[in-house]
Amino acid sequence: MKLGFSPEEELFRAECADWLNAQMAGEFRDIKGISTLTEKAERRKEWEQHLGAHGWGCIGWPKEWGGRGATLAEQVIFAEEYARAGVPGRVNHIGIELAGPTILTFGTEDQKKRFLPDIAAGNTIFCQGFSEPGAGSDLASVRTKGRLENGSWVVNGQKIWTSLAHISDWIFVVTRTEEGSKGPKGLTFLMMPIDQPGIEIRPIKQINGDAEFNETFFTDATCPEDSLIGAVGDGWRIAMGLLAFERGVSTLGQQMAFRNELDAIILDAKANGAASDSLVRQRLAKAEIGLRLMRYGALRMLSNTDHSKVDGAALTYKIQWATWRRNLGELAMDVLGQAGEVTDNADYEWTMLPNLFLYSRADTIYGGTNQIQRNLIAERGLGMPREPRGDV
Amino acid sequence: MDFRFSEDQLVLVESVRDYFSGTHGPEVLRRLDVDGNRDPAIWQALVDMGLTGLCVPEAHGGLGMGLVEAALIAAECGRVCLAEPLVDTAFVAVPWLIAKGETDKLSAIASGDHKVALPHVLNPWVADGEGKPQTSVDPLRNLAMFPASGSNDDRLLNLGALMNAAQLLGLADAMLEQAVEYAKIRTQFGQPVGAFQGIKHQLASCAVAVEFAKPVVWRAAAAMQDGLETAPVHVSHAKIAASDAAMLTAETAIQVHGAMGYTYEVDLHFWMKRSWALVGGWGDRSYHYKRLDAAVLGGSIPIGPEHTFA
Repeated sequence: MKLGFSPEEELFRAECADWLNAQMAGEFRDIKGISTLTEKAERRKEWEQHLGAHGWGCIGWPKEWGGRGATLAEQVIFAEEYARAGVPGRVNHIGIELAGPTILTFGTEDQKKRFLPDIAAGNTIFCQGFSEPGAGSDLASVRTKGRLENGSWVVNGQKIWTSLAHISDWIFVVTRTEEGSKGPKGLTFLMMPIDQPGIEIRPIKQINGDAEFNETFFTDATCPEDSLIGAVGDGWRIAMGLLAFERGVSTLGQQMAFRNELDAIILDAKANGAASDSLVRQRLAKAEIGLRLMRYGALRMLSNTDHSKVDGAALTYKIQWATWRRNLGELAMDVLGQAGEVTDNADYEWTMLPNLFLYSRADTIYGGTNQIQRNLIAERGLGMPREPRGDV
Repeated sequence: MDFRFSEDQLVLVESVRDYFSGTHGPEVLRRLDVDGNRDPAIWQALVDMGLTGLCVPEAHGGLGMGLVEAALIAAECGRVCLAEPLVDTAFVAVPWLIAKGETDKLSAIASGDHKVALPHVLNPWVADGEGKPQTSVDPLRNLAMFPASGSNDDRLLNLGALMNAAQLLGLADAMLEQAVEYAKIRTQFGQPVGAFQGIKHQLASCAVAVEFAKPVVWRAAAAMQDGLETAPVHVSHAKIAASDAAMLTAETAIQVHGAMGYTYEVDLHFWMKRSWALVGGWGDRSYHYKRLDAAVLGGSIPIGPEHTFA
């Protein structure tokens, strides 16, 4: 066991911090500290391009595709410094963390050439077409249909909870391409350009007033025959591979963003007197413990990997951070008291901590609910019998 | 000790619940959210049912009822997420004015012509009052920064806390019902999600919290009505129990609704945000816990084998 980062890694950390702080103090100071994914969307796209132009867009990718071939430790360091510098979330998170790695792992040479350089440069924004109104936790029951016709895929159906579809260029879509198939069989993973008459996007307003999610409707939407990743009928394997990316590397650097949120709560508690309440003090201490627990857990996962994938302990990570952060939102509101539920704004727009409370309700739902996570831990991690289900 | 309500009390509650269930569904909340939160027709209906005068003495044109009846109706207001300031005016302000011997406005309140917004030092903002408007997390709540400083009267605080607790019971009931109904119709993996223990056990825990909060609130209402010295302790207990039940139910109901529960389109958020607003008002959890621990450790609740529950 050797804890801490190496001198080289600390040098890299300083390099990341210097560059990010300079950007947030300079050309991109207008986006510093934004806490939603939707505010100033055009500037955020410019920020993606700026990252790409300076080689910071996707440091974990291989050099030949626009990355730096960074180690997992370096990726975590970059993510930490990114949050520490108050840089807003990546609007191309899906492209960098999900679409890119999926194409790298499962795509053809031609597809890599077609997509990866543009994602790396911040020119192509991706969104994810997985969930449907009838296929949420039960993702395998997707009904959106795809069929091959005159050398094109023709897609009909509906996706939902497509984050940032309204500012995206491409969407990857899990479609049912085998007539009459059920569950994970007969699915195909397609990549489709969004700007076409067959795709309609409608925003979904969330409880915090923001509209990050969308419904995406496909009516004879098309893409070329070679837009599929993997083989026809191979969609479930690709989708599961992609979700492993979602549950793995991309969540490892988030503790610094959580650190910022907890620090803000501690400062408020000191300022408004809530810190003198013994119940609040204990909950703040508990939050600190939970944060460190995640930190050490992440570092442990990091040490156990061969730098390309995360081991089985990663199964426990989603429920841990999501539950911790949801509790943090509740703590924030108890610290703020009534001030947390009121704003001077005439519009229904909320500052960081009230937004944390409202937004964190979704943390235990998206990307696999806490209930699904427990089933995964019990069934895949512990090898317990599968929960009885109805006839699908 | 008898927790049963009288026939008259039950009939009153049933008639109000029937009226609301026929006229004040979620579509009303959505309409108000778009059209500006207050609707004179809804207020007039409350007046016509006699609710603005529920606690006003008959001599001043009211029904002359007490705090138990008021708490029962406040729970019904919570159940339908009523936005009109009925509870603040008729169930908090009226009993307070009567206790202070100020009767000149009572008949105007009973007739629906006068609404009262009561600032208190524990509430930095006041609903439906004069002053600089503020945006509340509850989109149907018209908050204002009250220009003058508020009262620090304990009786007012206790009335406000009691009535918030009563509303929270109704809010919790309604959210639990919405979540249960959703869990019955939403299917995943070939069955209603409510068939999974991971879901149904959570809702069962909400039912436990809500059912145990109810008698605590009724006890507090009776204690205040009877002028018991221990009434403030009962009120603090009620506020905490109802707040915890409502928040647990709000949070569970969102989880059970999945991503739908996080949307503005699903009505649940109106109830959840009202709960949040009421939990914070008239003394938060921390404030009421302090009153309870002061009572337990400070001797105002007698301890020892010679004492029984009161």
